Amino acid sequence: MASVQGVAAQVADAVARRIGRDLRVVSQGPVDTLRLDVAPKALRSATEELVQQRARFLVTVGIDTRSLSADFRILHLFSLDSAHLFVVLECAADANDPHVDSITSVIPGANWSEREYRDAIGVTPDGHPDPRRLLLADDWPEGVFPLRRDFPYDYKPPSVEGVAPRLKEPPEGASVLPIGPFFPVLEEPSYWRLFVEGETVVGCDYRGFYNHRGIEKLGDSVLTYNEIPYLAERICGICGFIHSTCYCQAVEKAAGIEVPRRARYIRTIMLELERIHSHLLWLGIAGHILGFDTVLMQTWRMREPVMWLAEEISGNRKTYGMNTIGGLRRDLPAAVIPKILEVLDEVERESIAVRNAIIGDTTLLARTKSVGILTNEWARQVCVVGPPARGSGVPIDARLDHPYAAYDELPPRLCTQEAGDTWSRVVVRVDELLDSIRQVRDALARLPDGEVLTEVKDEIPPHRIGISVVEAPRGEAVHFVMTGDDNRPYRWRVRAPTYPNLQAMPAMIDHAAIADVPITLGSLDPCFSCTERVEAIDVNTRAVRVYSHKELMAMSRRRGQGGGRR
Amino acid sequence: MKDGPLVTLALAMLNVAVALLLSPLAEGVMRKLKAIVHSRTGPPLTQPYLDLLKLLGKEDLRTTGGLPYTLAPALALGSVLLLATLVPLGTAPPMGFAGDLIVLIYVAATSAVALILTAFASGSPYAAVGGSREMMMLLTVEPVLAIALVVGAVKSGTLSTGGILAWNAEHGPTISMAIAAVALFLALQAQAGKLPFDIPEAEQELMGGPLIEQSGPRLALFRWSLWAKQLVFAVLLVQVFVPWPHVGILAADVVLTLIKALVVLVLVGVIDVVNPRLRIEQAMGYYMRVALSALSALAFAVIGM
Repeated sequence: MASVQGVAAQVADAVARRIGRDLRVVSQGPVDTLRLDVAPKALRSATEELVQQRARFLVTVGIDTRSLSADFRILHLFSLDSAHLFVVLECAADANDPHVDSITSVIPGANWSEREYRDAIGVTPDGHPDPRRLLLADDWPEGVFPLRRDFPYDYKPPSVEGVAPRLKEPPEGASVLPIGPFFPVLEEPSYWRLFVEGETVVGCDYRGFYNHRGIEKLGDSVLTYNEIPYLAERICGICGFIHSTCYCQAVEKAAGIEVPRRARYIRTIMLELERIHSHLLWLGIAGHILGFDTVLMQTWRMREPVMWLAEEISGNRKTYGMNTIGGLRRDLPAAVIPKILEVLDEVERESIAVRNAIIGDTTLLARTKSVGILTNEWARQVCVVGPPARGSGVPIDARLDHPYAAYDELPPRLCTQEAGDTWSRVVVRVDELLDSIRQVRDALARLPDGEVLTEVKDEIPPHRIGISVVEAPRGEAVHFVMTGDDNRPYRWRVRAPTYPNLQAMPAMIDHAAIADVPITLGSLDPCFSCTERVEAIDVNTRAVRVYSHKELMAMSRRRGQGGGRR
Repeated sequence: MKDGPLVTLALAMLNVAVALLLSPLAEGVMRKLKAIVHSRTGPPLTQPYLDLLKLLGKEDLRTTGGLPYTLAPALALGSVLLLATLVPLGTAPPMGFAGDLIVLIYVAATSAVALILTAFASGSPYAAVGGSREMMMLLTVEPVLAIALVVGAVKSGTLSTGGILAWNAEHGPTISMAIAAVALFLALQAQAGKLPFDIPEAEQELMGGPLIEQSGPRLALFRWSLWAKQLVFAVLLVQVFVPWPHVGILAADVVLTLIKALVVLVLVGVIDVVNPRLRIEQAMGYYMRVALSALSALAFAVIGM
């Protein structure tokens, strides 16, 4: 850890040389976190200095600290990957006239983060190139900021008819081809407004956040520390365990809680199982987007036993409910280990077969090579994460950069490609799929004995911060927690990996063919969720009957009885 | 034609009936095949019939008026049925005449034209993109069909489909006819709207392209015309270019032809299920190469091979 502190001191010195006395306070959060409190006027030059120090921007957190220090605070989070160090660049904004300098001109990837804190707590980023609304609904009233602490979590502003998002108009000669808000290959609502000339995309605009659920608000106003993991798990239908782990780690870090080694190993196993089923799911969707439904059907069939494993371990296919602050609520039963190994063997054998089939498919190559190119430079500037970053030759992986769970003892293989096209992202994911299988095996072989939960007896001290990252299948998820009173966080900020990755999309589809847009978007990895079981309630007798997988399959195959007819 | 008008009419009715009534079954077989490769159970073989019945029973919703738009579905199906009477089924084409080959090539393109008309009339941006893709496909696939048939014409020295069939049945396989047959088979993949050439409809990109605004009976007629078209083309391929064995008994020849056509469609189905979709310019490049290769068949035909 000496090297972490050494690098931290170097970075603090460099920033101090650049901005002099405008660097007000240098402090340390948890051991891997350097906090730099700077004067508002020096924010941009401090950012430039951090970028020169090769710090990678993660996300911005805006906090309403009016009850603590009579101001708003803006925290830009950075990561120095090679040094395993987080840097928090923070500054205050006046409570009555909240303004800070925008850093989007220095870091294009800060675009959405800055629009988001403007929407959420009402601090204006001065000089932002695109200050339109990002997060709030189009009929949300002006001047009402939901993440301010005096805003009640259950307030519902009156809805207004006839409002539309402020979207860009197409350039002259181009017409609009809307992809979304609802579209066959978009699993979630999001609106890509493509400007096309014939078959060529000449520009686009984006409107998202149709599904904003106010999760962060619930975290700092209604729920308590140990209730939040179950909400965090529901952020994503695929990488639920990733978000609950990431949140728990942030709190554990802030409070200085040591998690038992066995729990860290089991977290690793669950995280990698999630990567396996997620990458298989993604391969299928990518195939489907290209009309190659055989890939979809086969990979989803291969994926199913992994879901059954999750069910056997936790009782659920998804949303396992296993994580809690300090470790796990449920141990890994010894009886399931041989089954895991058996399923892994089968998945590995079939994955290799799929990989070989894909690599030899010339039509598939024709559709993915040189398609949707994300250049290394742009990937770095937009701060793209996960397989899209690694496919463009950016060697980042949260498991290596900020080892969490048991990754310090079980390092993953860094899978990178240089070309930055859709094919590279396919190759990266297939490599990772096979590496995850190896990792689960390693973790099981070295699984230590012992407890899985450190009981948290003391109150978690308030106003500390914890930053945690987890390498989700789609890329790095970031959770920031500032502890608070009342047994709940003062502020909880979640950044899912798609947040930076989507911002790279416009450059990736510039002058692409329309046909390449869905697969380019798909190559950033969409989300999907499905149910296997149905609970039926007889309205007359109130009897509950649960249909099993087999029964449902049989019912759906029986002619004339599908579709709910009885 | 040597037969009387009543016989001609009966044969024409037979061809139309086969195209109408058996094409959904052929589609059902292809769907079943797809399901097997997917490790699925798949729908019953009769599902396409049920689809048609369901669609025909629905409300007729139109996004726009205008004569071309209104008549397009009927034009699409009608042209395919007319095509069926120009295609030999077990014997010479019922409505055949000297020079019917030229008419056949034109009629073959009509259903695609109807689809393009609908696409541009329906006013959806997806349909517009799909319509222009359909047009580009038509312009590159149609020459392949024409070249293949011209090879047959040069070889047999006649401009009637029945003449080519008779010549082929009598003389046995030749190099030029074999190349033309392969070219026609490759064109069939696009004519049937199957992967990797379902580019105009491209569900994941254009949500059905030209057909996006079609529903109910109109969609049923378009679907039916597409299914009938793939069967009629398969019959054309196996009759004109692979007419052996030619028994001489009508019923036996009809059954044989249908079996061969089904084999061809199963091959089309296999190609469909193991390929992702190409981009439009990739598909056009592919069919231009096919057309150029098919020209070599013409050269062989001229030197008598």
